[in-house]
Amino acid sequence: MSPAPANPLEYKPLDGGWGWMVVIGAHISIGFAYATPKVLSIFFKDIQQDLGASFSEIALISSIMLAAMYAGGPVSSALVNRFGSRPIVMLGGLLCGLSMITASFGTSIIYLYFCIGVIGGCGLSLNLNASLIIISKYFLTRRPLANGLAMAGSPVFLCVLAPFNQYLLVKFGWRGSLLILGALMLHCCVAGALMRPVALPCKPCSYELKKTEEEQPYNTNTRLRRRFVKNAKKFLDLSLFKDRGFVIYLIGSIMFIFGAYAPIVFLSAYAISRGVEEYSAAYLLSIMGFVDMFVRPGTGLIANSKWIRPRIQYLFGFAMLVNGTCHLVCPLIESYPFLVVYAVFFGVGFGMVFALIFECLMDLMGSQRFPKAVGLVTIIECFPMLLGPPAAGLLVDIYGDYKYLFLMCGAVIFTGGLFLFVMNIYNYHMLEKEKQKQVRASEVEMKQTPEAEMGQTEPEAKEKNGALRDPENTVTLNECELI
Amino acid sequence: MGCRVIPELRHFCSGGVDGRERRELHDAASRESKERSSERPARREDTGRITMSAVWKQLPFHILLLLISCRHIYTKTTGPTSPPLDPISPLPTIERSYVLKGKNHTERVELLDPVNLVLTCTWAGGENKALNITGYWKKDENEVENSRVTVQLENRQYNLNRSFSIVGEKNLGNYSCVFGNEAEIKFVLAAPQIGEVRDKPIVSYVGDSVVITCKMEENKPKPKTWNWFKANGTGKEQIVTSEEHHKYGIKNEEGKAKLLIHNLTEDDSGSYYCGAVYAIGTTMGRVELKVITFYEPLKPFIAILVEVVILVAAILLYEKTQSKKDYTAAGNGASDQTNTQSPGENNGSEESSSMRQRKV
Repeated sequence: MSPAPANPLEYKPLDGGWGWMVVIGAHISIGFAYATPKVLSIFFKDIQQDLGASFSEIALISSIMLAAMYAGGPVSSALVNRFGSRPIVMLGGLLCGLSMITASFGTSIIYLYFCIGVIGGCGLSLNLNASLIIISKYFLTRRPLANGLAMAGSPVFLCVLAPFNQYLLVKFGWRGSLLILGALMLHCCVAGALMRPVALPCKPCSYELKKTEEEQPYNTNTRLRRRFVKNAKKFLDLSLFKDRGFVIYLIGSIMFIFGAYAPIVFLSAYAISRGVEEYSAAYLLSIMGFVDMFVRPGTGLIANSKWIRPRIQYLFGFAMLVNGTCHLVCPLIESYPFLVVYAVFFGVGFGMVFALIFECLMDLMGSQRFPKAVGLVTIIECFPMLLGPPAAGLLVDIYGDYKYLFLMCGAVIFTGGLFLFVMNIYNYHMLEKEKQKQVRASEVEMKQTPEAEMGQTEPEAKEKNGALRDPENTVTLNECELI
Repeated sequence: MGCRVIPELRHFCSGGVDGRERRELHDAASRESKERSSERPARREDTGRITMSAVWKQLPFHILLLLISCRHIYTKTTGPTSPPLDPISPLPTIERSYVLKGKNHTERVELLDPVNLVLTCTWAGGENKALNITGYWKKDENEVENSRVTVQLENRQYNLNRSFSIVGEKNLGNYSCVFGNEAEIKFVLAAPQIGEVRDKPIVSYVGDSVVITCKMEENKPKPKTWNWFKANGTGKEQIVTSEEHHKYGIKNEEGKAKLLIHNLTEDDSGSYYCGAVYAIGTTMGRVELKVITFYEPLKPFIAILVEVVILVAAILLYEKTQSKKDYTAAGNGASDQTNTQSPGENNGSEESSSMRQRKV
């Protein structure tokens, strides 16, 4: 790993201090983002009775919310790039709160689709991406730990909101509960207030920007097309696909997401089919969530250690293997105590993967390309996430037995983990080779030009990997921060 | 004919009767009296004229008496066995039995229509198997009249059986056969119970409408019809839709009943009962409705809103004071701040010289 050339324009991430408050903010924000679609299902039975809708119509609310949350990724990333995390998270919190409050007055299912599904989902997507991006800005050395702590928000909020929602439902009915839940989601605004923007030393705006703006006179058509393409590129940067590590990561995470959610959805039904009592079956999911809560920060801590950090992609692959093995073993389990053990291991595997899933992307992309990358990854992950549980449900309908569901999910995740492992060995190998070439080339250059370049080509060294960044993705600074 | 049966009339027919009165009798009676009068012709002729006049005076009275008595023959029921009053069709007979091993057992019997229920209890006996024990039947902890019998040990078992006529709701209940204060089998007779009834109260808001449902389980027989009742003080009052059809709506299907209540007010809170009507009786299910005003959830909502605003303001103020302390012109903590992307990543483990200017 070669150090980046000394450059007065760099900054060193804080790695502590106010960063921990930012972690708390991200914890709250991510917690609401992942937990809300799941805990809303507590209200569905009452809403179904009042509005006279069928069960599948009601379940669509959750699906629309999740789809909007993931699909809004690129837009969210672009907005964060432009405005910074703080205003975006506050806007996201306002949108979420507004969505729940307006939904409490709903009289038709379409109204709920729009309010909770679309507006709520957009709010959550703004929250999620902005939180992840600001963590990548504030942390470097302790980033895995920060990620683990922030991602732990999801099980914590799930465990807290689920019984709380039950209590609200009994006391106020579903309308009052949605109203109060909307007020609670405004705490994302508090989280946003915590996300102080990272102050950077002001530097002369890169004249590269001026260069791109001084275009040669084209006729209007091509200029419009160019602007359109440039705007589209702002949202979806397809050049990321040229990055080998990114593609490997993407394939692995798609396979994981496809098989990850179906076992959660069907776990209690499977337990009941094996003769377990209803309350004990529901308890299994709580065990899993509880274990998850502690595993995520723990994995972050482990990933931070100096032995694992350089090889964090391997840990990610390993976590997926654990998860996959767990599911493959599940159909052999018949008795309740063993199901509890399975739930514990499931929690461990699930927590490990989710603690690392964004950390690995940050590790691959660096904090500069991460916003665009995370936007692209979330919108692509939308598809396996929406397809996974119905496909698994289809298997259950065809074969009439839950074990094929677990076998399929386990096989997919296990293969994904193996793929990641093997391909990462290859990737690291190639990166080493490229780095050697780069070092030799820069040594030759250094001898020839003694001056350091002024921020035109800023080779972004990936931490611990040292791969070169694509020069096309050079940062274009829009404004400097006033100090 | 009446004379023989009715002791009162015998008084007119027998010999000890005043000869005068004999004359007023009906045809049958007069035939008899003629027979008697033929035995003693002399006496009759002597008193004939005198008695005739007196008898004719009392004739209407006696005819009336006879008519009443004759009708009484057909209406009075005597005897130990009572045939049904107007049997249109005989009741079907159902048998239920149970063999008891132990001390007690409760058996549920589900009935839909009026039946003749024959309950048979069999008991293997306790430690000491006496030859004879007394057994009797109980209904709802009250002993059934004339049910105490002596049960003999046959084939190492005691048997008790009895037939009950279950025609209405008052006949339903707990029927027990008791073997000598040692063993008891209880048969709980009831119409099918409503399975899916919500135990938690339904919460709704003033001005809103609500749907209350009662559903009979899939495998249970469906009731003939459903009725809805609202609890009114101590009793229940039936809800009829025709009066104010703007308020209540009833949609009943075979196995499911729905009550729609529009324009809720706080008075609508309370217990609602759905009754599944079977031929044998009605089973009730209870659902509670709570109507609250909009202000109830509004109070915690406003409290949380105020708390959020205070927190946000506090955090932003803190930041402003911190940045003033650093003698840097504080940018607004709120929107319109642009974030500059980090120009380059450092290998964090190595402390390279870099200028740090940061708002902390």
